[in-house]
Amino acid sequence: MTRFETRERGFALALLGPALLLLLLITTAPLIYLGWTSLQRLDLGMPWLSGLAGVDNYAKMSADPRFWNSLALTFVYTASTVLLQVVLGLSLALLVLQIPRGQGVLRVAAILPIVLAPVVVGLFWRTLVLAPDFGLVDLVTRALGLGSHNWLGDPQLALISVIAIHTWQWTPFAFLVLLATLATLPPDIYEAARLDRATAWKRFVHITLPLIRPAVVMVVILRTMTALSAFAAIFAATGGGPGSSTEILNLYAYRTSFSELNLGYGASLAVVLLAITLAVSWLLFRRRRAPA
Amino acid sequence: MRNALLVRRLALAAMAGALLSIWAFPVLWALLTSFKTERDVLAYPPVWWFTPTMANYREVLFGSSSIVPNLVSSMVVSVSTTLLTMLFAVPAAYALARLRYPAKRASGFYVLATQMLPPVGLIIPYYLALQRVGGLDTYAGMIAIYLTFSLPFAIWLMVSYFEDVPFEMEEAALLDRAGRLRALWHVILPQVRGGIAVTTVFVFLNAWNEFLFAVVLGGNRVRPVTVAMFNFISVEQTQWARLAAGAMVAMAPVIVLGLLAQRHIVKGLTVGAVKGGGRR
Amino acid sequence: MNKQGSVAIQGVVKRHGSVTVLHGIDLEIEAGEFFVLLGPSGSGKTTTLRILAGLESVNAGNVYLDGEKVTDKEPGERDVAMVFQSYALYPHMTVAQNIGFPLKMVGQTGDTLTKAVADAADKVDIGHLLDRRPGQLSGGQQQRVALARAIVRQPRLFLLDEPLSNLDAKLRMETRVELKKLQRALGVTAVYVTHDQEEAMTLADRVAVFMDGRIVQVASPKEIFGRPAHASVAGFIGTPPMNLLAATWQGSDVFLEGAGRVRVGVTSTDARPVTLGVRPADLRLAPEGLAARVELIEELGDSHIVIATLGSERVKLRTEPTSPLREGDRVQLGLTPDAAHLFDRATGARLN
Repeated sequence: MTRFETRERGFALALLGPALLLLLLITTAPLIYLGWTSLQRLDLGMPWLSGLAGVDNYAKMSADPRFWNSLALTFVYTASTVLLQVVLGLSLALLVLQIPRGQGVLRVAAILPIVLAPVVVGLFWRTLVLAPDFGLVDLVTRALGLGSHNWLGDPQLALISVIAIHTWQWTPFAFLVLLATLATLPPDIYEAARLDRATAWKRFVHITLPLIRPAVVMVVILRTMTALSAFAAIFAATGGGPGSSTEILNLYAYRTSFSELNLGYGASLAVVLLAITLAVSWLLFRRRRAPA
Repeated sequence: MRNALLVRRLALAAMAGALLSIWAFPVLWALLTSFKTERDVLAYPPVWWFTPTMANYREVLFGSSSIVPNLVSSMVVSVSTTLLTMLFAVPAAYALARLRYPAKRASGFYVLATQMLPPVGLIIPYYLALQRVGGLDTYAGMIAIYLTFSLPFAIWLMVSYFEDVPFEMEEAALLDRAGRLRALWHVILPQVRGGIAVTTVFVFLNAWNEFLFAVVLGGNRVRPVTVAMFNFISVEQTQWARLAAGAMVAMAPVIVLGLLAQRHIVKGLTVGAVKGGGRR
Repeated sequence: MNKQGSVAIQGVVKRHGSVTVLHGIDLEIEAGEFFVLLGPSGSGKTTTLRILAGLESVNAGNVYLDGEKVTDKEPGERDVAMVFQSYALYPHMTVAQNIGFPLKMVGQTGDTLTKAVADAADKVDIGHLLDRRPGQLSGGQQQRVALARAIVRQPRLFLLDEPLSNLDAKLRMETRVELKKLQRALGVTAVYVTHDQEEAMTLADRVAVFMDGRIVQVASPKEIFGRPAHASVAGFIGTPPMNLLAATWQGSDVFLEGAGRVRVGVTSTDARPVTLGVRPADLRLAPEGLAARVELIEELGDSHIVIATLGSERVKLRTEPTSPLREGDRVQLGLTPDAAHLFDRATGARLN
């Protein structure tokens, strides 16, 4: 190996090394500690019981209905928000493509939800939009004669509400990305398709969809990661309640650790969430590499 | 024929307008609310014409429930996080994007993987560790954990910007006797100035908006604005108008940045999406 | 340091993973020569150039500049300048800063720097563009900036990687001439890579023809044109390129299947399978010779290219614009014996 190549390597290591080291320190080391903690009984509320517990926490988990509930909720929450975002985002993008002049304004409007802090969004919705009687939604439903509802206090409605909140905040992301992608599609293939007498719907299914597939997949991956780790908005809006009706696994782990101070069990819940996240991302990335 | 086209255009415009309002309205509603008195807020039917008052803002900024100390907290944490992140991320991204070294693919995967970690998984060990060394409610502790989501994200965003620079740039500079470090400084970095700016904005935004880490690891000294929002909500009552005013103030920097940099943000989102980065 | 600019490459082998890109290259270039590396894409000519520059390492062999072994030396240490195909101009710097960059890197400043930059700029006629940015310049102007940046430090060797390929045809012709004049004026050794054989023929003092990672012939343009050493070279040079036909050589005649025979100047005792090469300009209408049928006539204005079928193969020949040939005509083609190039059918090596 030449001196040239050796020096390139040394330079690369000098530039990358510090960041890698830092990452190892602040992410990998804590994760090992997390795993270790999950094998312990660490209850700050009852400190005299602390000690190594082996896989007790995990055994307890499999029999814990609240855990299974949170798992189901996580699945429902993630699947519905991602699906809604992609469908709505795509429809909006297709719509907006036809209005060249409005695009600038709409892009600015789309930026707003994305830059807001999720916790603030949760609070906004909780207080101003979903509040019974004078919240925006209630005003509308009352005006439409559908009456007033306790959007966040009713277990079923609460889940729908949090899904709505998350979708509201993140659909613009899908919208912006897909709009930009659609704008880069070459117009000639559409003209060729028109000449081949393909209807608008056929053109959409056979040309547009396959061409934007990479972008859609990427959006799905990113939004799924966000949905799995969503916390602040739900916390602000419902705190996980009423009861456990909006307590996704993320929130369950948090509540267990910091409200009930049972850190050992909370750690094991977090480990499960971590495993799920890694599994899901691995699956999604594999699909990304797989040919259409 | 022309009428049909016009009608179609109008229909589309109307639909677009409706969507715009769905997105803009909550924020505008909050803005309106921040200028109302508490009584006006609770009125039903809603009061459209009301006398605006600055009382809420006065209270939120200068009064007993002032969130100014929280703004300072947020500023210190966000700015420090951003500076540290960029300092480590830019060189690292350059190496990943353009240099040859062993285990390059593996290190790339590692950086990507660290971006996928659910925050609740990190918060527990951090809490325990910091508690042991008395690092809770300190800036150092807070910034350290903020780096866990800033650093991988910044690296991935910068990698895509570095990859856009034509590869012959370094070669030309090396032939011109620049050496690798000077080639990076004089030739490559100026060409990714835009990317650095966009990444800085994103990192700052993410840090400013962070909540989970702020609430768990913070306390009375280090208390970013995102946590301070809950000052206005207690078991007995919610101070609606003040909350709205507080939220407006807290979100002001973020909204201003967003509007100023909106074209770049959109570009950054698409770049990140297509090439593999991602925000939480 | 001896700074004449002679180059020697000995036994250089280059591999990319399991693929061998260069199979042992040997080359000697004299100081002050305009030396062209010619070949189709992927033949290894650019790789050789980059090895000269120090941008690629070698798996075996050595490189010598002015007798000094530089195989392991870094690009910046070889006193070599390169003009890239894409010019690689620094977009964020002005033209003056671009040109001055190599001098700045070795510590030159102030008036000496400014003067050197102005001198280099004048040599390529861009003195009036010094304050512009590359993005504001046309392709031709950008190319000159790249040239100026290369000559400003008076290196001992110029390397040029297809510098004209991004220009339109007319500009290419004009710039070719200026490039040659510049090199003559400066007297610096130039190594020039191209796949355009016309460019190579007009610019080079000597040409090295690359095929599949090997050098097939090193000679002056005249010799390469007149006596190509290999069938592949023959089929590559010339516009239109040489006709190559499968034939059998026996005695002093070459037989083409289904077409007839021609007399050639050399004799072979046994029947040998050969490839007969004849240039379109050397193929003539004759009273008797090889039977052919006209397929197509391309009218180029000052001459015609006639495409005809000879036996089972296609040939091209040049005729005067006043030629009375029509499509479908049956004609007889002939050539003088010294216009015949014979190559071994299997190896492609030249036989006469």
